[in-house]
Amino acid sequence: MIKVTALSKSYGNRPILSDVRAEFSKGHLTSLIGPNGAGKSTLLMLIARLLAPTSGIITIDGTDIASLAVGDYARRVATLRQRPDCNLRLSVEELVTFGRFPHSRGRLTAEDRRAVDEAIDFLSLEPLRSALIDEISGGQRQMAFLAMTIAQETECLLLDEPLNNLDMKHAVQIMQALRMLCDELGRTVIAVIHDINFAANYSDHIVAMKDGAVHTAGSVSEVVTGSGLGELYGLDLEIVERQQGRLCNYFTQKGKTR
Amino acid sequence: MRRRVSLLVAFVGIAALSIAFVLVGSGLDFAYIIPRRLTKLAAMIVGGIAVGLSSIVFQTIAGNRILTPAVMGYEAVYLLLQALLVLILGTSSLMVLGDYGNFLASILMMVAYSLVIHHWLFKGPQVDTGQPLLVGLVLTMVIGTFTQFVQLRISPGEFAIFQGFSLISFDRVEPVQLLWSTGLVTLVCLAGSRSLAVLDLMALGRDQALSLGVDYQRHARLLLGLIAVLVAVSTSLIGPTAFMGVFVANLAYACAKSERHRMTLPLGCLTAIGMFLIAQLSVEHVFNYRTTVGILINLACGAWFLVLTLRFRDIA
Repeated sequence: MIKVTALSKSYGNRPILSDVRAEFSKGHLTSLIGPNGAGKSTLLMLIARLLAPTSGIITIDGTDIASLAVGDYARRVATLRQRPDCNLRLSVEELVTFGRFPHSRGRLTAEDRRAVDEAIDFLSLEPLRSALIDEISGGQRQMAFLAMTIAQETECLLLDEPLNNLDMKHAVQIMQALRMLCDELGRTVIAVIHDINFAANYSDHIVAMKDGAVHTAGSVSEVVTGSGLGELYGLDLEIVERQQGRLCNYFTQKGKTR
Repeated sequence: MRRRVSLLVAFVGIAALSIAFVLVGSGLDFAYIIPRRLTKLAAMIVGGIAVGLSSIVFQTIAGNRILTPAVMGYEAVYLLLQALLVLILGTSSLMVLGDYGNFLASILMMVAYSLVIHHWLFKGPQVDTGQPLLVGLVLTMVIGTFTQFVQLRISPGEFAIFQGFSLISFDRVEPVQLLWSTGLVTLVCLAGSRSLAVLDLMALGRDQALSLGVDYQRHARLLLGLIAVLVAVSTSLIGPTAFMGVFVANLAYACAKSERHRMTLPLGCLTAIGMFLIAQLSVEHVFNYRTTVGILINLACGAWFLVLTLRFRDIA
């Protein structure tokens, strides 16, 4: 379990996060939602240790993450940032193999090969195994990077807007893969997700952030409510309960329709 | 397998060029000509390795395919130091400092400069790939102007000494200096060899490398330090190479067809050595010393750099 206590981050005098408290439970998929500039990505980067907090403590299973060595932390928490474009001539397999670095430090063992094969299998990337990542589509590339993170075999995965710029099919594939990671492999997944409907239909928990603080946090049914989300985004929202899940309609605003 | 082949082909090519360079027109004079040429060949090899390694590793850390230490002003700093030394100590500067003193001063200067570069450019998120290039070119220009200013203050005799530093040449290589350089490059390779696997990951950028368990800051600092030593070695041994590093690195990437540094680094070194050999052979046998190695290399690589920046603009 990852626990964030009294976390603050500011650049100069400009506070980005102030006094954030949150818990991310084991084996669950937690979505971070909220308007732009709410501090979702900053919170994720702080948990990933890519940024240093101004104050506050983040613990993983009770241990302060700042006390862990970089190499040790990489065996417990894997992070995937947004990849706008990547012009490296690497094959998908080579990229996924990078995910084994925390374990093998570059010298591959049979165990590493198994983990790479499993990660490629898990996302059905076998046909693309030897394709170059600068020649495949954006969605496929995102899958390849996700496979690298999965091959890292960490208990926790942090994903910064994994659905960014993906078409519907790839977005669904990624979310299904994240769901499987939690349900079948017992991993903890924390993802920044902008599409409220993906967050509502695939998450166990949602942490909603606004203005650098946690606005609401809890299960999907607790957070995805018309009034709660309306306040979060400053929009009129209609929550449609369906048998397949909850849908959130924010496309038409009262009084502003054509 | 095909990758190994390209490395082998490059290696055989360089070997053939080296033999041609040592033997053609030597009259098999083992007393003077051949030993002299072997010294030059050794300088090309050591210089080529230094240029190849420093350029490619620098590009990996910078995450940018057109930045090299030379473009970022390392060599301009070296020339400024030499000009200042000549100004302050006069023609006797060579005597006072000796080979080692000058060499040591250059290395210290380069390391200090790379700390500045590291602090300025590689801290914080990389937003714009064009900005470091602009900073580098402006720095090179500004430092170059300082150097010119110093040049105006020195006497013609001193200027002649200074000019010796500012052109690529294999003729002024002294065996003692060569020995030192070889030793230093070997040490750098040994110190850097542990980072070889890490370099492939560093190419993914700071954040991804960190989350894969690479202590990015420590490796970047170590590697930039080693690059500073390599640049000091190559500049004091054979002179400033300007845009050659960009050419060498990009040709290596194209030939390697891979991002793996265990492929690109040796290919980069071989390419640099090959360029030196071809330029020197052309000067000796085609142009009959009517041009210099530096002019040939700068002409070819400068043109390539121009093409690359124009193409780069389309990509970025």
